[in-house]
Amino acid sequence: MAKTILAVDDSGSLRQMVVFSLRAAGYQVTEAVDGQDGLDKAKSQSFDLVLTDQNMPRMDGLALIRALRALPDYQRTPILMLTTESSDEMKAKGRAAGANGWLVKPFDPQRLTEVVRKVIG
Amino acid sequence: MTANKTSTRHIKELLSGVSEHSNRHLSEVETDLIQTNILLQEAIAKLSASFMAIHEAVSAQQQVVHALVAQCDAPAELVSALHAQGEQVGVHVNAAVTGLQFQDMTNQLISRMMRRINGLRDVLGDIGLDSEGIPAEMDEASLAVRLDRIREAVHAKSSALENELWKAVCQTHMESGDIELF
Repeated sequence: MAKTILAVDDSGSLRQMVVFSLRAAGYQVTEAVDGQDGLDKAKSQSFDLVLTDQNMPRMDGLALIRALRALPDYQRTPILMLTTESSDEMKAKGRAAGANGWLVKPFDPQRLTEVVRKVIG
Repeated sequence: MTANKTSTRHIKELLSGVSEHSNRHLSEVETDLIQTNILLQEAIAKLSASFMAIHEAVSAQQQVVHALVAQCDAPAELVSALHAQGEQVGVHVNAAVTGLQFQDMTNQLISRMMRRINGLRDVLGDIGLDSEGIPAEMDEASLAVRLDRIREAVHAKSSALENELWKAVCQTHMESGDIELF
């Protein structure tokens, strides 16, 4: 059974590229348009990996990660940030919130797939 | 000593003029940015749609070619060349996907510009309002205090605006970004 990924980003074009890249690699990808939408979807369905942007309306990436880590089902789920942010300060905040990795945009599909494969197989 | 009535009037008109002209030009800049953003969104929508369609067509074509090659006794060099071309297609597809992410970043930069423009318009608008409150006749010392207060208010609002405008996009090229697993 294909592994499931929740891709959270307020940019439709970015989500489209993530979905294209990961579905081509055989993953099932569900989209969410912001942190709150991501949290709602995570509560209604179990995902093997969450890939989230940082700067989003309603709920940003760090807030989403903290909210997910507070859920029993998501305490060990790999969560990767996919964001334009590249400062050490933000990475430290991401790590403290519970992120397992940090990917700086733009992403290369092959590298993204390799990282996802490394994290969830 | 009472400040020259003409000088006070000039100062009021100067401040009011700065506020009014700035507002007009900033509004034009805002309009242009909105239009730029709309065009970028439309461009990415068209590019993405075309890219997906081309990718689908090429994938289908590759399947047909592979099926044909499998059926006939194609020379090894031809099979090898087809395989190499397939890999080349993959390389270019990856590059296109990376490039097509430009709109996300440019949109963030434009949003930041818009927030700065709105903030700047507020700051300069307040200068205009403050200048209207300056009486036609005022002693020099009081006028100096008043102008100092306007200057300090501008400085405070400008600093606050700067603090709000965190720069999330530092990329200056479209090469793929770093990856770090914690």
